[in-house]
This record gives sequence, structure tokens and C-alpha cells, in this order.
Amino acid sequence: MSTLTYPQEDPAVRPELLPGSRDFRGITRQVAGIVEAKTPGPWKLALAFTVSVLMILFGSLVRLVWKGTGIWGLNNTISWAWDITGFVFWVGIGHAGTLISAILFLFRQKWRTSINRAAEAMTIFAVMSAAIYPVFHIGRVWFAYWLFPLPNQMQVWPNFKSPLFWDVCAISTYATVSLLFWFIGLVPDLATLRDRADTRTKQIVYGILALGWRGSHRHWLNYEKAYQIFAGLSTPLVLSVHTIVSFDFAVSVVPGWHTTIFPPYFVAGAVFSGFAMVVTLMVMARKFLGLENLITLHHLENMNKIILATGSIVGYAYGVEFFTAWYSGNPYEKFVFLNRAFGPYSWAYWTMVSCNVIFPQLFWFRKVRTSIPLMFAISIIVNIGMWFERFVIVVTSLHRDYLPSSWSYFKPSVFDISTFVGSFGLFFTMLLLFIRYLPMVAIGEVKSILPAADPHAAHDHEEARHAT
Amino acid sequence: MKRAPYSHAPEASGKNHWRSLGELHGAEAFAGAAAREFPEGASEGPSALGRRRFISLMGASLALGGLVGCRRPEETIVPYTRAPEEVIPGKPLYFATALPLLGTAFGLIVESHEGRPTKIEGNPRHPESQGATSAFLQASVLDLYDPDRSDSPRQGAEKRTWNDATALLRKVGEEAKAKSGRGLAILTEAHRSPTLASLLTELGKALPEARIVRYEPFGRDEAREGARVAFGRPLETVLDLARAKVIVTLDADLLAVSGSPLKQARGFAAGRDIETLGTAGMNRLYAVESAFSITGAAADHRLRLASRLTPRLALALTRELSKHGVDFGELGPALASTAGLDERAERMVKAIAADLAAHRGEGLVVAGRGQPASVHAVVHALNLALGNVGKTVRHVAAFDEAPSGPAKVVELAAAMRAGEVDTLVILGGNPAYDAPADSQFADALGKVKLSIHLATHRDDTGARATWHLNRAHALESWSDVRAEDGTASIIQPLIAPIFGGRTEHEVVDLLLGRGRKAYELVRATWQGASSALDFDKGFRRALHDGLWAESASPSEEVRSRFGDIARAVRALPAAAEGVEITFHPDPHVYDGRFANNGWLQELPCSMHKLTWGNAAAISPSMAKEHGIEDGDIVTLAAAGAEIRIPVLVAPGQAEGSIALTVGYGRRHVGRVGTGVGTDVHPLRASGAFNIVTGVILKKTGEHTTLARTQEHFTMEGRNVAREGTAEEFAKHPKFAKEGPEHPPLLSLWKERSYEGQAWGLNIDLNTCIGCNACVTACQAENNIPIVGAEGVADSREMHWMRIDRYFTGNEATEPATIAQPMLCSHCENAPCEQVCPVGATTHSPEGLNDMAYNRCIGTKYCANNCPFKVRRFNFLDYTSGIAEIGKMQINPDVTVRSRGVMEKCTFCVQRINHAKIDAKKAGQDHVKDGAIVTACQQACPTQAIRFGDLNDRSSKVARRLESPRMYRLLEELNIKPRVSYLARIKNLNPALEGA
Repeated sequence: MSTLTYPQEDPAVRPELLPGSRDFRGITRQVAGIVEAKTPGPWKLALAFTVSVLMILFGSLVRLVWKGTGIWGLNNTISWAWDITGFVFWVGIGHAGTLISAILFLFRQKWRTSINRAAEAMTIFAVMSAAIYPVFHIGRVWFAYWLFPLPNQMQVWPNFKSPLFWDVCAISTYATVSLLFWFIGLVPDLATLRDRADTRTKQIVYGILALGWRGSHRHWLNYEKAYQIFAGLSTPLVLSVHTIVSFDFAVSVVPGWHTTIFPPYFVAGAVFSGFAMVVTLMVMARKFLGLENLITLHHLENMNKIILATGSIVGYAYGVEFFTAWYSGNPYEKFVFLNRAFGPYSWAYWTMVSCNVIFPQLFWFRKVRTSIPLMFAISIIVNIGMWFERFVIVVTSLHRDYLPSSWSYFKPSVFDISTFVGSFGLFFTMLLLFIRYLPMVAIGEVKSILPAADPHAAHDHEEARHAT
Repeated sequence: MKRAPYSHAPEASGKNHWRSLGELHGAEAFAGAAAREFPEGASEGPSALGRRRFISLMGASLALGGLVGCRRPEETIVPYTRAPEEVIPGKPLYFATALPLLGTAFGLIVESHEGRPTKIEGNPRHPESQGATSAFLQASVLDLYDPDRSDSPRQGAEKRTWNDATALLRKVGEEAKAKSGRGLAILTEAHRSPTLASLLTELGKALPEARIVRYEPFGRDEAREGARVAFGRPLETVLDLARAKVIVTLDADLLAVSGSPLKQARGFAAGRDIETLGTAGMNRLYAVESAFSITGAAADHRLRLASRLTPRLALALTRELSKHGVDFGELGPALASTAGLDERAERMVKAIAADLAAHRGEGLVVAGRGQPASVHAVVHALNLALGNVGKTVRHVAAFDEAPSGPAKVVELAAAMRAGEVDTLVILGGNPAYDAPADSQFADALGKVKLSIHLATHRDDTGARATWHLNRAHALESWSDVRAEDGTASIIQPLIAPIFGGRTEHEVVDLLLGRGRKAYELVRATWQGASSALDFDKGFRRALHDGLWAESASPSEEVRSRFGDIARAVRALPAAAEGVEITFHPDPHVYDGRFANNGWLQELPCSMHKLTWGNAAAISPSMAKEHGIEDGDIVTLAAAGAEIRIPVLVAPGQAEGSIALTVGYGRRHVGRVGTGVGTDVHPLRASGAFNIVTGVILKKTGEHTTLARTQEHFTMEGRNVAREGTAEEFAKHPKFAKEGPEHPPLLSLWKERSYEGQAWGLNIDLNTCIGCNACVTACQAENNIPIVGAEGVADSREMHWMRIDRYFTGNEATEPATIAQPMLCSHCENAPCEQVCPVGATTHSPEGLNDMAYNRCIGTKYCANNCPFKVRRFNFLDYTSGIAEIGKMQINPDVTVRSRGVMEKCTFCVQRINHAKIDAKKAGQDHVKDGAIVTACQQACPTQAIRFGDLNDRSSKVARRLESPRMYRLLEELNIKPRVSYLARIKNLNPALEGA
């Protein structure tokens, strides 16, 4: 439906969410068909490529564990750089998924149904990519489990005052809740796949995963309740996870980190980057998998609006930081912000500002908002900008802190780069496996927003009686 | 029973212990016995295994099997069957000895753990060290365990035994005797050993035609020659800075390498004690120098002046002093013709002259070793005319009046080339590397039929000599030495020669046809010098104290010979125009002898924080003129020779002057020093040994990275290292307390209180000279690894203590500078502790910020949150590469850290705990003030560092906190550091206001 023209809006009449799809069975066929079809050649090629990139990650991590974090470009002054930048970047990306599935669900934003499954999957894979860093950036990886409050005979506990411990709790909670939420949403669709399975293996695997779903009313009732509860649980997580990630910085004494604006600023940034990533992926998915009827331009436009809003919040935060630095009268704080804009890392700062503040402003124009190539480009630019934002926060604050004698400059080593590039390998490998083996659109949910599912709509669709 | 005890890597397979004479002489029967722990039959059962025995073995196996779960290395443990007297495992012993260096000798106390010397401290009884040490002294213990040391005599590359070498030396001696020494030459260092001197005198008598030559790349010839001109005798000059109110240095780095620096630094610091002396009683230091030295950095007024112009300044100073009524006799007319200096220098000279004239008998003028003899003669005359001699300056008889400068080596090399030398015996030193360029010593060495080189390493000379003999390190040999002022010490071994080396005394004795041990030789020397009756007692006393009581030489009466001085002054050539090069001993490797010492290689040099290599220091304006930056490689050409060397843009470097350090670029060094730095010797010829003029600098366009530990040398307007002038201090004594404005300091947590003892440390920036002794002492004490040039370039150096250097003022013109030692501040509200997720860094009840290495997982969050950036992370495995023999240096009281853990200054917690245990045993409930001395504090020559109990009002450190100069860094963060500083006070001359 790429030829879709934008409907003339009458504010009193809501536009149809999926004008291109009116048929329950068609949707099932379309979505399940992706999974059931013979493995397409391009998919195999793509997987081969992403697995190769994933192997770069494995190689880098093996070397990292073998030799130590010294293979990265870190030094005495800058003890965190690409590692924590990558961590915050990936965690931020995950946020869009949770926001779409939880908050938009609670706000009854029905348009979310076409994209929530993929966005949630993206959340989980992004958290997986993010989790690489906190585990592997430590000096003695084999003791990473000491970060968890495991009872032991020596009565040694983690330091409950440390933001890193809060981080461990926040991220593991987030990963667990996101995974369960996603899985609960998947159960009816897994049952559909089980019922349509053409091999014994598929029957068994999908059968086990479907948890005995038969589509009874009781099942649907429990499902809706569970879904609502998880949406409720996930909603605060959208805000809390990145708030706590920002505490890693805000609770420290490092000028440029020690800022009270960080929690909202980080959450907005996370949603910003997450939606940009969803746009990037959805533009590709609808094109390659022929899902234009389910993931419409309307969806993409809505997401671009969110990008515009959160991008503006982020831009505002950049400005407020400067104001606060000046208004606080704190000489170190003042220096850090001037140094960001005009110091040795000014190139990174201005990359960040142009990517995050200037380009998303183009979404004020409907033409840009609805142009697939432009939104694709801008969504990638935003993610580049958001990576730079984390880099600017982490590195430019550290590289020149209190005592000028320790000032330094960070240069990434080849392993910094390969680890980060490799993390994309993990993300996209998981994503490819996901679209191949699981329904990437929530079949059951999408059906619920078709006119046929609306009891108050005109019942001119015979199919409605055969819903699910 | 996997390994023999103390077995080294094959390449370092020296013997250090022997268990019987059998082993010593290599008896075969012993070799078999040594491989087993117990004698034959004691450790194995009869071959037939009976039922009872089987059951008992099985039972024992099961019982022991339970112990397998504990991880412990399977190694032979050798208990003492009969413990040597006084050895308690785990308790170190301390022995006094001395180390010759810088043309003097330093008395030392060496810590020894179960027979391994691990740490060097100064001997408080010895006048040259006064309990302090320098970086060189601290690091020399590492040289002892250098795995690249030579382990046997060699003929060419072939290994030989000492038996062969002994036979050879005896033969050489006999053959020389037949020719009454003709064709034999002996080249020594500028040693100060009475035993060696008497042996060489004996040799000279027995072989009257043998040449005996002394050579030292950085000797004291010019000062001695100056004394000969000025007083008619080549005397040694001894300075007492403590009694001087006005100190003037002319190109002399008094606090680092000139004269006897430790003693001089202590004396200088004594004159800066503002609390006792008041601002009016403080001394004033004027430094005139071409390259920025720590003396120039410590100076109240510093004048940048090319070294070739220093003679002019010395004469101008004399001229000005004569205007103040100082009588210079016949020298007066010679001064009239002195060429002019620029306005700034003239102004400085006038002020110095007025100051010196106003402080007769309390002044001190000193010229550096690189200045010509006539300048030294003028300076000697100045001191005498000002009445300083006998007060701040005294002259004593020289240990050896023979010159040790380049001229004699050139002469020797010429003789070698002419075939006049059949046999050359080189006792120490490395002349093939460091002899003057025009001697072409290395070539000449090839012309000698038999050349024998005694040295600890098979170095540049040893590789070319026909025979190499391995020398014992100073810590493993018997010898004796006289310090600058004549104070005599016995050098006693702390360990049997690890690689079986011998000393130069033994070699000379073999040449004389005998073969006594160094111990006998040293005893014999001193037996002859004291009455036989109480000799043993006296000798033991000397060993115990580390010096012979009252052995210092008496002051000599001197009288100026102004006529001779005037003649020497007139003979001074006019200062050449153009660019000059000055040669300095390297702050890392001295003259090259420490080139294989990792601690020194990685020690950031005091002024520019350069490690692992040397560079040509040029002034910023010269750099601008040539369009070059730090690390650009240039060629320096002078007198037909050329070298390629990277440039270091050095603020404070005199215009038209390039400073080079000597000692790098050796070809035969070892695993540490190979390929490091640039050899500058091609430019250093005997005619221009200290200063070369007419230098041409050319840019090559190539660039290299200089490994520096500090890249940013300005304070950026932050009041980090605080200083003021005496005037400011008198008006506003609390100026140092002014930090940035901040809101009331509140804590999120309940702050702890410290009831018992609360440890704290204070550093007086007024006396800190930035000499680096503390940094090396800390490295030696705390098993701090080195990371190599790449590691330093990546800013991953591991030093727990560092000395920050800040330049103030306009870099291009006359920068001033201040040094600030920085170590873990042990903040009471430590930001590092709060953020560690596993609680690996926590606070002790006495206020120490402790690191539990075992618990550390290496998130590095603590390092990020440390506002002082003093935490050091083991990014890579820095310790497992230590050679087996290098492990003998490890301090057993301090954990060796593994890869992936964070570390930092502990306030020498091992020393604190030792003192606490001692106090407890003595029934005291508190450790007394002064019982705990941290490694940095102990090494400090100026006693700038004080450590102790802050809760004890009477402790030295607590009293320092009451000084108005006391301040703490970053107090506005409410971190409450336990390390505090005393601000520096500069004693400016009001006459030079605005200069």
C-alpha cells in the first residue's frame, strides 16, 4: 500500500486503522505465511551476514576475556567509553518496544497492534545486546555473578548504595518482565502456528510454546487480564529503567554526570532512539515481507511524531544543561559544558546536536513525515546521534574532570569497534530468527482493530463470524 | 617436590645459595642429593607393599584427599633445620651499606626478607643521605635482580668459568710484570673506594709503565680544576645549604644530580621552614640555567640563560659584587672587559649581587659540572671573598686528584689505536658507549689484542671486548667508599652474588698475582688504617652504623690566587653565537647504567613527565620558528656529526639552547632497555664535552609519540597547587584556604566518626622539590608493576603516587612552575566507595580507604568517580611476566595484584599494621607518633611528607594541619580528604618586582 494517499481528515471521524486489510483469514494467512513459507534465499543471505558479524562479537569477547579490558582504548582517566556508551545505547533502543506494548496499550492506542510484537522483540534483543557490556566490561568476568545478591556463607552482599547494583536490578527486572510480556502476547499466535503446522516438529515445538491454548473464552479472559497486568507492570519500567541507568552517572561526582536533569532526559532520549530504531526496522520489514497493509504509513507517521516530540525534549535538555551549568556557578560544571561544545570532542558534540536536534525537526513537515526514504534516513541519523549523545556524556565528562594533570583523550581500539559492530550482529541475528520462526505481527490483536471486530460498526463482513 | 628451590629461568641460572661446600664446588654426589628433599631411604617405603602398609597408605590418601580441594602450589618447602641467628620468617632484617653514585656515596639501610634484599632506604646516620633516598637509589635494588645480568665470564660469546678468568688474570699480571707494565692499561670509573685506590697504587708501583686511567661521563673535574686555579690545589667542594640565606646556582642542578643532592635538598628545605624561620628568615634561591631543572623549579627567581653565556654572567656578578665593596684583587681589571648581557639578566645580576653582599657569610654561589673550570674558579673566589667559605661552603681534599674527564680517554684510545696497548682491563663503566665521540673508543677497542671488561651486564663494551667478566652488584659485594666529604662506609653484601660475579678489587688483586676475596681486601685496608687492638670492634661498628665515625675529611684552608683566576678568565673564549646543545645525565638512566631498569624507565621525568626515552628539549619559540611540535623528529648536526631525535617543546628552556640527556640508545642492554631512546654521543666530543655550539636543527617531517604521563600542564584557573609570595603570606596568612565558593556541605549518609587513631598525610609544597624519590619508593614498596612505553602512551601507568607538574605564567617567556605530589586522599566521604557494586573498596575504622583485591571485579566505576584520578586499573596482566629472579624483589608484605582489579595507594597499610602489632606487643594502646613511616615519607629528601594520627593533637602531621598554609583539595565536594597540603611560599626579591 505504498501508493496510499493521506486521507483527508475529518476530526470527528477516526480514520480506519488498517484500510488495506479487512479480512481476518487473510491476516492469519499473511502473517503465519511468513513463518510457514519455504526459507527464502535473501533471508539465508541476510542471516549468513549477520551471523558473520555475530562471530566478530564472539571473537572480540573471547580475546577480551583472554587478555583483559586493556584491549580496549580505556585508560586511567577514561575508564568507561564505548562499552558503557554501547550499553546505554542498546538499553535506550529497547524502550520503544515497552512503550508501544505497555503505555500505548493502556492509553488504548490501537494502532500499536501492528507493530507491538516486533517492537517488543526488538526490546528483548536490544537488552540482550546491552547486557554484553556490563558483563564483559568488568575486569574479572568470571566473577560477574558477584553483582547479584546471592546468599553465601561469608555473608558478603553487594553494595546496596551503588548505582551499578541498582542498574543490575533494573535491567534484570526489565529483561524478565519484557520477556514474559512478549511471551504472553505470543501464546495465542503460537497456538495458531501449532494448529497450522505441517510437520511433526513444528507441532511439538509450537505446541509446547502455546501452553495448551485452545482459544476458549476463559483463555481469552485470562489472557486479557494477564496482558493488562503486565502492561501495568511494564509501564513504570519504561520510566524507571532509563532513570536508573542515568543514575549511574547522576549519582557520581563527575562534572557533566552529576546532573538532576538526567532521569527525564534519559527516558526521553531512550524513547527517541527506540522509536527511531522501530521506524528503521519497520520500513525494512514492511518492504521486504510485504506487510504494507498491516504496517501502514499511518503507523510510521505516528512514530515520526513521537520522534519529533522526544527529539524536541532532548534538544531542550541540551539547552537546559548549559543554562544550569552557567546558573549553578559551579566552575567545573561550566567548564565541562564549554569543553563539550568547544573542546577536543566538539566534533562529537556537534554531530550529536545536528543528528538529534536539527534533523528530527524536519518531521514538522508532513511531506517528510510520510516519505519513506526520508524517514528511513532520519531514523538512522537519530540513532547515530543518540549513540553520540551517550558517547559525549560518558567520555567528554571523564576526559577532563577536576585535576588538569590527569586530562586525557580517548581513542577507540580495533576491539572497541569490533565489539560494538558485533553487537549489531547479535541484534540482527536474533531479529532474523524471530521473523522466520515467530509471527512478527500480533495476529490476534490486529484482528481486534479491524472494522469486522467492532461490534458497533456496520456488519457487512461475513468473515466477522469466523473471527479466530 | 616438583622443583628445586629458587630455581631461575634457564637464561638466568645463577646460583644464589649453596647448601654445602659440595654444591658450591659442583660435586656430583651433591647434585643427586640436592634433587631430593630427604636423604636416601627416608622418603620412600620398601618396594613390597604389605597389607598393613596398603591399608595405612589408603587411609592416609583418603584423609589427604580431602585437602586437595584447597588450591596450593606444589612446591618444595625448605625449612631451616637449624635456623640462622636472628632470622624469623616474615620478619625483615635491616643492614647498613652504601652505594657510590654521582661522584659521592650514599649511606643506605637495606631491608632483607629471608636473605633477599627487597627495599632500599637511606641511612639516617649517613651525612649524604640523612635517611632519604633518590629515585636512582630506590631503583638500584631492581638492578640486582635483573634477569639480563651476565651470569659467567665469557671469552667472546663463549661461556667460561671464573677459574679460566682467574688463570687469565694471573697470566696477564705475570706477563705485565715481565715488561714492568708496558702495554697494559687499566681503565676504571671515577671510583671512590679506598681499597681499590690502594690496590691500584700498589699495581702502579709494581708495574710502573702501566697506564691507569679514570673516566666518568659526568665527573667533577671542572669544579676540582677550578679549585686548582683558584686555590692552587684540586679540592672537593662541599655545600651546606642549611646555613645559606642566599643561594645562587649557575647551571647547577643542586637538588637532582649536582654535588650531593640529597644532603643539599635537606639543607635547602631547612631554610624554607617558614613556621620556624618566619618569612624574613627564609632562604632565597636564584637559579640561572639553560634547561629547566628541579632546582630551577624550586627557585624563587629563575633566569633562562644559554649555558654558553653563563661565564659572562659569572663575571658580571663578580663585577657587580666588586661595586658593593667586595675585593677581588687582580681579578678586578679582568672583569672590566666582560661582554654585556641582556637587560633582564643584568637586572637579575644586580639584584643577586646586592642580596649576596647583604648576606656575607650566609650566601652560596655554585656552578654546575658542565661549566668550564674558569667559571668554577671565579665562583670559588666569589665564595671566599664573600666570607662564605668555612660557613656555607667548605673545601676538602679530593679523593683522587687524577682527572676523570674525556681527555685521558681520548689519549688512551689513541694509544690503543697506535698499538701501544696489548692488554686493556676495564673495571666497570661502559666506555665503548659513553666515551667521547672523538676517541672512537669502540673502534680502538677492536685494535687491542686482549681486552677484559668487568661489568654486571655484557653491555656495549663487553660485547666488543675479548673477555667479559661478570661483576657483582654493589648489594652483593664487599667494598668501601668515601663520600664527597670523605665520610667512609663499608659496602657489605646483602646476598651472595646471585650470578657468581666478582668485584673490581678481586680482579686487581688477581692481576697482582694474589687472589684474595674482596672481604679480606676491604678488611686489610681498614686494618691498616686503625689500631689492631680494637679493629674488630670498630669494623663491626662501621658495618652496623654504615659509616666509620668521624671519617669526614677536615676542611682545607684556602687562599684565592686572583692572578691565576684572572689569567684563566682572560683565556676564556668568547661565547659562540648560534644554537648550543647542553648534555645532561638522563633522569631515568643516568649515564646509561640504569637502561635496563624498568622502574626508572617508566619514572616520569620531573619536569616534562616523559618516560621511556629521551628527547631534545627546545624552547617554545624555537619550536614555533621551526614549525615543530612535541614528538617531531629532527636532526641535530654539530662538528660533522648528526643525530636524529624527537623534540620535546619545553617551557622554560633558554633561547638558542637545546638540552639533550645522555644514556639512551645503547645497543646491548637487555629486555627492558633495548631499542629505547636515542644515543646522543656522536655529538659529544672531548673538546665540547658539556656544551656544543654551532648546532644546526632540521625538521625531518617524521613524528613519533612521546610516552608522557601528563599532557596538560596548566591549572586552567583551578586553584589546585596553591602558592603565594612571602609578602602575601605576611599580609594574608590564610590565603591558601580560599577555594571555590560552595553551598553548605551536607551528606546523604550518616557520616562516621573516628574515635581511635585517624591516619592522615600532609605534603608541604614549600619544600617538595618534585624529585620523584617518593614515586620510586612507592613502586618498590608496593610491588607496583611497569606497563611499558605503550602502556604509558595509553595513559595506563600504574604508579600509586604521581607528581603533577603545572606551569604558570606565560609559557613562551618566563614560566614558573609548581610540583604537587598526588596520591589516594583516603577521603572520609570517599566517592569511590559509594559506587562500587560489590563493596570491594571500603573504609577502615581508622579512616583508610581500603581495597579488597579479592573482591574487586573491575567495574572501574570507582576510578571514574575518583576526583583525583589516583586509582589504577590492571587493564592487562602486568605481573605474570616478571622473571623468576625478579620475583625475589617482591615485598612479601604486599599482595601482587592480578589482571582485572583496581589498586591504589594504601597509605602503606602493611607498615601501619606492623607498627600496630609492635605497639600491641609493647602494651601500648596507641601507635606512637613517628612509629609509622610510609615509603614515600621515608624516601623524601626534604621531609615534605608527614604521616600520622590526626586525632593526636601533638603528632607532627596534626600540628601541620594547624598551619595557616594548610588546605585540602576539592573540599567543596564534601569528600573530606585525609591528605592535605601546605601551600608554597615564594621568597621573592622586592628588587625584582615585576620581573
